[in-house]
Parts: sequence; structure tokens; C-alpha cells
Amino acid sequence: MIDLKNADPNFKWEIIKKEGGEGLLKCFGCSDCAASCPVRYFDERYNPRKIIRLTLLGMKNEVLSSPFLWFCAHCHACTERCPQGIMVADLINAIKNYAVEQGYCPEGYKLQLDLLKRLGRLYEIEDFDLKKRQRLGLPPVDKTIPEVAKILEYTNITARVHSKNAHANPKSEALNSVSCRTLDVRHKQIQITKMQNSKQDSSPDKKRVVE
Amino acid sequence: MKKYALFLGCTVPVRAQHYELSARNVAKELNIEFVDMKDASCCGFPLKAVDAETSLLLAARNIGIASKMNLDLITLCNSCTAMLSDAQKQMKNNEFYKKFKELGFSYPREVQVRHFVRVLYEDIGIENIKKHIKKPLGALRVIAHYGCHYMRPSQLYGFDNPEVPHTLDEMINITGAESIEYVDKKMCCGGSVLGIDEALAVTMANHKLNIAKNNNADALISICPFCTVMYEDNQRKAEAKFETKYEIPVLYYPQLLGLSFGLDQNAVGMRFNRVKPAAVLEKISPTPSEESTR
Repeated sequence: MIDLKNADPNFKWEIIKKEGGEGLLKCFGCSDCAASCPVRYFDERYNPRKIIRLTLLGMKNEVLSSPFLWFCAHCHACTERCPQGIMVADLINAIKNYAVEQGYCPEGYKLQLDLLKRLGRLYEIEDFDLKKRQRLGLPPVDKTIPEVAKILEYTNITARVHSKNAHANPKSEALNSVSCRTLDVRHKQIQITKMQNSKQDSSPDKKRVVE
Repeated sequence: MKKYALFLGCTVPVRAQHYELSARNVAKELNIEFVDMKDASCCGFPLKAVDAETSLLLAARNIGIASKMNLDLITLCNSCTAMLSDAQKQMKNNEFYKKFKELGFSYPREVQVRHFVRVLYEDIGIENIKKHIKKPLGALRVIAHYGCHYMRPSQLYGFDNPEVPHTLDEMINITGAESIEYVDKKMCCGGSVLGIDEALAVTMANHKLNIAKNNNADALISICPFCTVMYEDNQRKAEAKFETKYEIPVLYYPQLLGLSFGLDQNAVGMRFNRVKPAAVLEKISPTPSEESTR
């Protein structure tokens, strides 16, 4: 149920201003993105079309606080099929970027950001790694790249992510358990369909299970 | 001799040394020179969801390094390829370039960003590579996994078919191994959502492991370290979650190519594959009787 009383008419303009958000107004809601989405194939709670429609309607809180916004794998399957030529994955990414600005940033990204600030790379290079590389005849790699912190400072990203108005991590434990259960049920149904089709169909896992 | 700047990214030098090792050794055979990039950092992709501009600036700094080396850039990771290609495009955007300059970076010459497999396909060419195959791997049947950012978004790459990709299959077939035809070739590994919802990511990875198993594939061939994290490192998790057994080795394409070149298994780092590829090595061991039974 959408209650337009809570709609924020400026929301869509804020998204359009973001890197990747330019195509938003072109969406006419055909749902090609949702139909092409590999994430949605496994978990129907993620729906790129719904996110885009809610954004156009101005349902800011619904969109930004939804844990499913972060389910986009950025695979661009949607982008390839959008009849309006929208870079859909980049559009969803623009909404994510805006959500971060508004204080919704999943914990995992904060950790990655801290690592990059400290090291300039995601994995720490230990002496052990350097020795192993040497043994294999691979050249040494830089342990830290300080210039990365300079970029992070320039865009002020750390301050934005750790800002005071940060909301709690949008993904709660409860949601996680629901997610696992839904997936398990779906997988069992796939298994059943597979058994039923194993004689006739050589690629049974393609079978879509309609719940 | 063709010369390129080699961009390693975060995962390859620490968690996929066998990918790096095999890529370097294969390149040597093909007379390709890799020049390492001093001070190259993370490509920026992990920050894209947080702030696209920051991630693009990180990427731009990296291609700036290649630009100063006066070389085109080769990547081993799909997501690095996408991120660096995006930044390369952004360099023509005045506002972005101004910020890049403000940070004190420079980009004296346009840099082409391509994945190693694409470079093999485009610059070296199938016919040329064929000449180096000394030990065809006719005994193997494998599943090719492209990974999303190898050919998508097509607006960025204009390479291969984004819906029905074929270049990796062709590259596999020249080694003598059979690249199995299957549906859902472009299915995502789930890597990008691993940090958000592990159950979902493992379910996505499980899909292709299941396809590999149903097709009795000897191995899954990957060209991206993060796809390999999903299919190899998380294979046990998928097995536990879906109460099954896979034991499917995940090889990097240069490992397969190196074996077909007749390189020693240590030269392509076969002992670093986490799902042990003993069965693969046994199948391709050069005993004439085995050849005739196939």
C-alpha cells in the first residue's frame, strides 16, 4: 500500500543529480529489468522496477530504508535489456549513493572504506604474502598506497558515511533469517521440479518455480 | 613483442597468486611483456555503492599511472575492468577531469583498458595462440563462466555478445578442451552481494555449480578472482546449504591455456587451487592408453 501523503516530490530530482541517476525519468515501468534480474530470480523481494517506481513517486523513506536496495549485484543484466536505454544498475547505484548520504550505509561498506583509507587496498599484504610471492617468482607489491586516503579526504566520503545522522544498519538479523528460509523453500521446490523433469529436460535448473 | 601495464587489483596478488602466475607465464610464451604498475591501488569498485565519484577517482588515478607509463592496461579481474573502463570514459567529462587534476594526478595519454582474455582474443588472436598448443586437452569438458563485467555493460565495452557471450568458449576450445554449451551462461556469481546477504550470494553461486555438476563438467573456468571466491571458496558453503557434493575444481583460464601449452603444472600454480584439481591433472596426463580410450 503506497500512501502518497508521505511522498517527497523532490526525491527524484535528488537522484537525477547523482552520478548514474540521469536516466530515471525515462523509465516507463515495463519491468524488463525485474524480469532480467538474476538476484530477483532467487529472491523476489528484490525488485529494481519497484525501487525505480517508488523513487519516481517520491517514496523516499520506503526506498532508502529498504534492506533490499542493497541486493543489486550490479551485473548489468537489466541495463542490457532496458528498452529506454537506462543504465539501470547505475541508476540503482545512484539511489544507493543517496541512501549513504542520508545515513543508510551497510556495515560491510564502512569496513571496506576503513580498509581502503588505511591500506589503499582491500586485503592487507603481510610479510607472509610477500615471501610467498617471492618464492613463486612474482614481483613484490606495495603494502600501502597512501594516495588513496588523499582521494577519500578530497571527496569527504568517510565523514559522510560516519555522519551523526547515520541510521542503524538497514539489514536486521530477523530479515536475514527470513531471507534464508525463503531461499531454502525455493531451492527445495527447484529440487522437486528437477526430479520431476530430470527424464525429459537436460537443463532442469533453468525451470522457474512459481510460488 | 607487445607490451602492457599489468593492473593486479586487490584480490589477485593476495588470494589468487596462481591466476597471476599462470597469466604471467602464458604471456611469456606468447611474447607479451607485462610491466608492473608501481603504487597501483584498489580499482575503486568496492566503493561504487557508497559513492560513485570517489570510486571513479580511485580508478582514474590508476589509469593515470598506466598513462604515464605510456602503455595500455591489462586487468585480470572483471570488476576492475569495468571500473577502470568507466573512469577512462569519464576522463572526457570536463567536470570530472577538473577534480582529477585538482588532486594532482595526470593523464598525459589515452589508455585502453581491457581484460587479459580480451587482449588474447583481440591482439594475439586465436590462430596465433593455436600455434603454441603443444598438449591439447581433449580429455576435458569444462564450463565457461564469463562473469558479468567481462562484457557488460555493452555501452562500455562493445565487445562480445552481452546476452550470449562466446569469446571465452572459443578460447577454451582452442586448448582442445570442450566448452560445454549450457543455458544461463551470463548468470552472475553473486559476488557483489556476498557482503550484504551471504545466503543469497551462496544461492546464486550454487546455481552454476549445479549446472556444472549436472553436465559432469571436469572444471569450471573462471576469469575473475571474485567469481572464483564464490565458486571455489564458497563451494563448501553451497554444498552444506543445499545438502549436496560438488568437488568441482575452479581453474583460471590462463591455467588451462598454460597446461595446453605444455607448461609444468607448477608454472600455472595448480597446487594453489582450493578444490584440488587432481582428477583434471590425471585426465590430461600423457599416457597413450588414456588417449585412445576417450
